[in-house]
Amino acid sequence: MLKLSKLSKTFSQPGDDVRVLDGVDFHLSPAKSAALLGESGSGKSTLLHLITGLDKPDSGDIIFNGDVVTDFDEKQWNRIRRTELSLIFQQYHLIPTLNVLDNIQLQARLADSVDLALLDHLMSRLGLTTLGSRLPHQLSGGQQQRVAIARSLLHKPKLVLADEPTGNLDGETSKTVIQLLIELTRETGSGLLVVTHSEDMANHMDSRWRLDRGRLIKQPAVNVAE
Amino acid sequence: MSHYRRHPGQTAFMAVGLLTGVALWLSVQLINDHAEASYGEADQLLGAESAFWIRSKQGKGIALEDYINLRLHGFTEVYPVIETRVITTDGKVIPIIATDLLALPLDAYGGNGTANSPLAGNTWLQFIQPGYQSWYSIDLAKRLGLAEGDEVALANGRKMPPALIQSRQQQGLRAFLDIGAAFSVLSEERFSYLAVTSLDPAKQKILESLLPAGLMLVKNEQVLDLTQLTESLHTHLTAMGLLSFAVGLFIVFNAVRFSLLTRQGTFNTLRELGVSVQMISAAVILETLAWSLLGTISGVLVGYLLSGILLPTVAGSLQSLYGAIVETDIQLSLRQLLLAWLMTLFGLVFALAGPLWSRLRMNVIDGRSNSVLWSQDERARTQMMWASWVMGLLAVGAFFRIETVVHGFVTLALILFSVAFLLPAIIQHVIRGAQGILPESSWKWRWATSDAFAQLPQLRIALMALLLTLTANIGVTMLVGSFRDALSNWLELRLSADIYLQNDAVTETSITALNVMGWHVASHQRIGVSTRWLDRPARVQGVDVDAPDITGIELVEQTSSGFVSWNSNAKSPIDPQPILANEQVKHLGHVNLGDVINLAVSGKDYHYEIVGFFHDYGTPYYRFYLPYQIVKDRWQNVRSEGLALWVTSEGVEDAEKSLLEVGAEPGEWIRQSDIKRVSLEIFDRTFQITAALNSLTLIVAGVALLAALLAIHQQRLPEYAHWHSLGVTFREWLTLVAIPLTLMVLVTGMLAIPLGWVLSWMLVYKLNVVAFGWTMPLVWSWPPVVQLFFVTACVVAAAMAVVALQVRKRLPDAIKQLGGVGL
Repeated sequence: MLKLSKLSKTFSQPGDDVRVLDGVDFHLSPAKSAALLGESGSGKSTLLHLITGLDKPDSGDIIFNGDVVTDFDEKQWNRIRRTELSLIFQQYHLIPTLNVLDNIQLQARLADSVDLALLDHLMSRLGLTTLGSRLPHQLSGGQQQRVAIARSLLHKPKLVLADEPTGNLDGETSKTVIQLLIELTRETGSGLLVVTHSEDMANHMDSRWRLDRGRLIKQPAVNVAE
Repeated sequence: MSHYRRHPGQTAFMAVGLLTGVALWLSVQLINDHAEASYGEADQLLGAESAFWIRSKQGKGIALEDYINLRLHGFTEVYPVIETRVITTDGKVIPIIATDLLALPLDAYGGNGTANSPLAGNTWLQFIQPGYQSWYSIDLAKRLGLAEGDEVALANGRKMPPALIQSRQQQGLRAFLDIGAAFSVLSEERFSYLAVTSLDPAKQKILESLLPAGLMLVKNEQVLDLTQLTESLHTHLTAMGLLSFAVGLFIVFNAVRFSLLTRQGTFNTLRELGVSVQMISAAVILETLAWSLLGTISGVLVGYLLSGILLPTVAGSLQSLYGAIVETDIQLSLRQLLLAWLMTLFGLVFALAGPLWSRLRMNVIDGRSNSVLWSQDERARTQMMWASWVMGLLAVGAFFRIETVVHGFVTLALILFSVAFLLPAIIQHVIRGAQGILPESSWKWRWATSDAFAQLPQLRIALMALLLTLTANIGVTMLVGSFRDALSNWLELRLSADIYLQNDAVTETSITALNVMGWHVASHQRIGVSTRWLDRPARVQGVDVDAPDITGIELVEQTSSGFVSWNSNAKSPIDPQPILANEQVKHLGHVNLGDVINLAVSGKDYHYEIVGFFHDYGTPYYRFYLPYQIVKDRWQNVRSEGLALWVTSEGVEDAEKSLLEVGAEPGEWIRQSDIKRVSLEIFDRTFQITAALNSLTLIVAGVALLAALLAIHQQRLPEYAHWHSLGVTFREWLTLVAIPLTLMVLVTGMLAIPLGWVLSWMLVYKLNVVAFGWTMPLVWSWPPVVQLFFVTACVVAAAMAVVALQVRKRLPDAIKQLGGVGL
């Protein structure tokens, strides 16, 4: 579903150029999850931006769903971001003026693919059934992230990308949220790529990758009891 | 201040706000102070003080021999003056003033000798020698399109002496001539009046005994009259200046709010490091002081220039309406500078206090929380709504007690600010209402309307400024439009005659005797006398009760037999005599229909019953109409006020030929169309300043809106970056943020219509009555409103375009920051 081939990216900085990604190769199959580990500034978010078309690589290819999308124009990327991808951030990024129900449906509406049965299912699984009319600022951090997860899955994306999704949550809530994310992506058949600092969270994924000095290295699998 | 160095956009908004507010307020203040100072010199003629005037009782001017006789008796305090108007061949009117420079008493200039007089310098020799010179002020020359040396051709076939463009004290917008030159330009060698410098009581008695029977010595009370008559006009100007200052403050308020918001993070960090709230406040106050100095200096410079541009218009109006001569050179005093600085400081502190207090009293953690900011905004909206109700109640109370112009303006301010404070709550309800109506399927519209709540907290002050600006524009435009309509219709009735002649030698009888061509339809010889009534100047006019302009007079109100009883007693004096009065008598003199008033003549009381009131637009004094014979019999010092002639439709030229035959000279009569044109020209010139201020406030409101929009969208960039990551296109973004903006501006505009109507109603039926003593029908006209809304839409669209460009430019950086991790 997602394949990265020899992907490179360099940022120009005063006095020096920083090669953030240096020939990165990566592969992720449908309904599978992967963790992307690395130090701060190692290029994890940059890689996510390249995968979602928010930034362009200097060289290499991004193959998504069998198509080489590296040189897609803005219009094509918009279509992909609307319909086949979704992003989850540490800051939740809910629309503060829309209630929970409208926030959850937002991307599905943009993709014109609202599935009401799936909506009920997601809300019920994420414990949001009674919170539909609330505004984001009336929710706790954990509740807001669950809304973000529901929003990212309702349009049945091929790939969910999560950037430090539990960075603002306490340990117990983090565990619950990540567990739900993994289960729900499996149920909807979406691939999941999670950027994290947490080894513990990475251990829950099907595969683990570490980004170090621009190179992406696959880590040995760890067996975690679910 | 380093914050502003790093944020030039915020610096620009702050500077524009301060500059606009201070400059507009100061320019009006300078004009007011300058005009009021000029009234203090109103008893001076070209710098020479005159305590008395010698005038003809019949209004026929003063003969040369009477003047020479007084000088021969040693009265060197007496000097001659001619004040009149001449008409150019292309129909322009030039007011002229002439005197004999060598006869001006030197002691009239106080301790400075000739330093203040026209004799200062060496240009006066050419001025008094045949060939002569006409001295025009720069503004008058500009208005007439004159260059140095030009000799203006007059309608009477003569020429003005060569032009010298230079202004003399108290010359105003009049051409200054030597008396000899004036005689050569005019047909008659008579003075308008003689001016007399101070006299001790003994000398005054001797002078009075020497005066021939047809002349009288009158005290110069011009200073008192001018100060009283123009008081309301200056209050109006002050109110306009304060409104401009308030609109400038809106920009400053936005800029301050924006800058504090941008620095919230820094403030929090400083507080976490142990810096006290007091110390942060002190730093911000120091910064405010620096801004106040910068604002004052730049505002004073621009205000001074602006007042120089606006003063000729105001001076022209004061001269046309009140006969007040205001010089066009403005001096800036230390008092005004200090006042400007204090106003700037007050404005800044006023704009800063609220936002600074709310930012600093927030605890450090809360300061970073969006939900706290949201609930804070909701609290602010509720507080504003309560403030609005309180102001509304006060306005209702104040409405029934409007007795002075100041009361009127306070009531008006309470009404306007009450509605302005209610605006955010009204917008909130309209949006909620719109969301309630929109079906579930219109999710994009629902999203867009809900986005108004994200914009409103930052936008509300700018929208309030826009509401006040639109209201002021609509209100004042309706007032001016109604006034122009009323004046135009009134001129049509009042000036129904075709020709107006000012030559005392030509009588109604001599004209009709020469009417061989059959052009004469009707004529009206009018006489009048200037007097004082209830401590204000008043004119009593003797009119022909059967003349077309009198029989067709429209009375605002009259007693049951009003006009009939006035007309039927035209030749038979009764006690009380029916009299017609202008509206000013009713509103300023507080006299009602049927009341009996007393107009004393030489110590003898005469009683008059008010039987009707007539419109008298723009007239600052009381006016009474009595039948011709009554005035002629009761007042000794009546003056002819000219002859009005109604002629057949093709008889104008024949009539003019007949006038020449009976001894009238071209320039002594004027056609009706010329008077109307000149009257409307004066009117339009008077309201030029209003139109200029209207446009300026609209621009300022546009800048305030732009500042607020830039602040909002800069702050929301991370949010937009996320929208982009969801696949929202730039066009969709624009729709999503522009729809709520349009909705909010639309609500503001819709609210401005009834509020503008209330404003114009208050101006016409309350303030105008209290200030000037007359009313007029309020005419509502849609085209100016539509035009204003179109301009507003363009201003909002331009502001949105600037914002869209900024967002487009900055969005890539914001996208890179998505997720909060740099690389």
